[in-house]
Amino acid sequence: MIISVASGKGGTGKTTVATSLALAAGYCQFIDYDVEAPNADIFLKPEIKNVKKVTIKQPYFLTDTGKDFSKCAEFCKYNALAVIGTEVVFYPELCHGCGGCILVGPEGAVREKDVVVGDVSKGHTGKGIDFIKGNLIPGSMRTTTIQGALERMHDTESLIIIDAPPGNSCSMVMSVKNSDYCILVTEPTPYGFNDLLISMEVLDSLKILYGVVINRDGIGDSSVEDYCRNKNIKIFIKIPNDIGIARFYSKGGTLLDYDMSYKIKFQNMLKDIEKIVS
Amino acid sequence: MKQITIISGKGGTGKTTIASNFIKLAHDHIAVDTDVDAANLHILLEPSVIKKEDFIGGAVAVVNEDCINCGKCEELCRFDAISDSTTDIKIDHLKCEGCGVCEYVCPVGAIELKKEKQGEFYVSNTAYCKLVHARLDAGAENSGLLVTRVRNAAEDIAYAENKKLVIIDGAPGIGCPVIASLNGVDYALIVTEPTLSGICDFKKIYEVAGFFNIRTFVCINKFDINPENTEEILKFCASNGIDVTGKISYDENIPRVLAQKKFIIDYPDSPAAKDIRNLYEEFEKTLYS
Repeated sequence: MIISVASGKGGTGKTTVATSLALAAGYCQFIDYDVEAPNADIFLKPEIKNVKKVTIKQPYFLTDTGKDFSKCAEFCKYNALAVIGTEVVFYPELCHGCGGCILVGPEGAVREKDVVVGDVSKGHTGKGIDFIKGNLIPGSMRTTTIQGALERMHDTESLIIIDAPPGNSCSMVMSVKNSDYCILVTEPTPYGFNDLLISMEVLDSLKILYGVVINRDGIGDSSVEDYCRNKNIKIFIKIPNDIGIARFYSKGGTLLDYDMSYKIKFQNMLKDIEKIVS
Repeated sequence: MKQITIISGKGGTGKTTIASNFIKLAHDHIAVDTDVDAANLHILLEPSVIKKEDFIGGAVAVVNEDCINCGKCEELCRFDAISDSTTDIKIDHLKCEGCGVCEYVCPVGAIELKKEKQGEFYVSNTAYCKLVHARLDAGAENSGLLVTRVRNAAEDIAYAENKKLVIIDGAPGIGCPVIASLNGVDYALIVTEPTLSGICDFKKIYEVAGFFNIRTFVCINKFDINPENTEEILKFCASNGIDVTGKISYDENIPRVLAQKKFIIDYPDSPAAKDIRNLYEEFEKTLYS
């Protein structure tokens, strides 16, 4: 079973919920899909055993051959290449590494090299959790390439818990698309509610079941709760607004360490999800 | 005309709170929301839309019944988007990046790239200034491209109306929409918080801003929830020559004020209100110096 934890708005508590669920479950594979800002390791403190670089192919052009590369520039859908007279200007940050320029260009004059866009690392927490995270290097835009590498590391025999990135675009979809169930973490404010509705739209279109956890309960209004009640959407847990939790979080402490009673709440949520999915 | 982008790496550190209060404090300006898949600025600014445009994003490959299941496209697709091409071909539109390699190699012309509407963008009037904002379709790709469209629209208005400042509310993370929101701006304001996650993501986004050679300021939100971590951020900034332009106090009223769709600066007794005003004044000094 794959359970993903997502939220439209950032900073609502995805990582808090995902790590709490993993610790409550005991045995699972935990995967941090928020490759642009991976933080779950701060809380789960895994011992990393293995780091593997993620690369893409990037072309280079043998311009001293005097060959004509204009076909490459015409083909490139990302405008990563400009040919002005005999001069070739390549913009690596725009290149997706599709290999099209090699197919259409002068034979043998377009070569490729591997370029590192990030890495994936693997380890254990000593508490039964197999930990995996992806990490995009600053300056790269290949978020979904790293996520693709994470997807190939899924242990399908195990319970998989995925910590998704914020937002509702392709990187969020890449993180939740294989889930049996998605937990949406939100806060009871007009902003949290607005972004929650978009996330629900994404999950509806992917036909993924979902429920809600409300974080910082008490700071805003009842619009999230009213909406969920009307639509029959399950609200599993409400985490109160508590400066103590915020301080504990700031030091890398988990919610379960802060208050042991959350363990049983998250275990119950897991049981509920297992029932819903089966 | 100068442009400032407000970014954070980590989500929920207070980008939109700072941006919205800056928008209320500034003059001769335009506001832009580049968090196109989870936009929030419009909730507070209550815009009335004066112009709406479709966003036609990148193309995806579509296969028709002429396919002879030769398998060439699957072999050459670098994005793992094509499967079962020798039996009953499937193209995964989530993975397809619209590069056109499959269309090019198909011997019978059964694959075609098709562009689709992937969202909308708007120019609106608000009580404070014009706002350019967008809505990416739920789950769509090409958020970076939409950010570029939105920013181009804002720049056109700024030049036409002789505005002095463009205030850009950024997206979380360090990926394509963030890079598109930083490209060519004059200033970046990084909003961070003294949590281990906040620090970790702050260092990454600072590195990204570094690639663009942008004058970067830092503001530490809720600086008093963890003095040790705040100290660490200050040290990092000092050793990298980054200006720490402001520290904002933890203020339990902020979430409530936000939830009521109000501006913090309108609550003069709030310590955070004073801090945000100071932050803006510091920024304005640089802007008009």
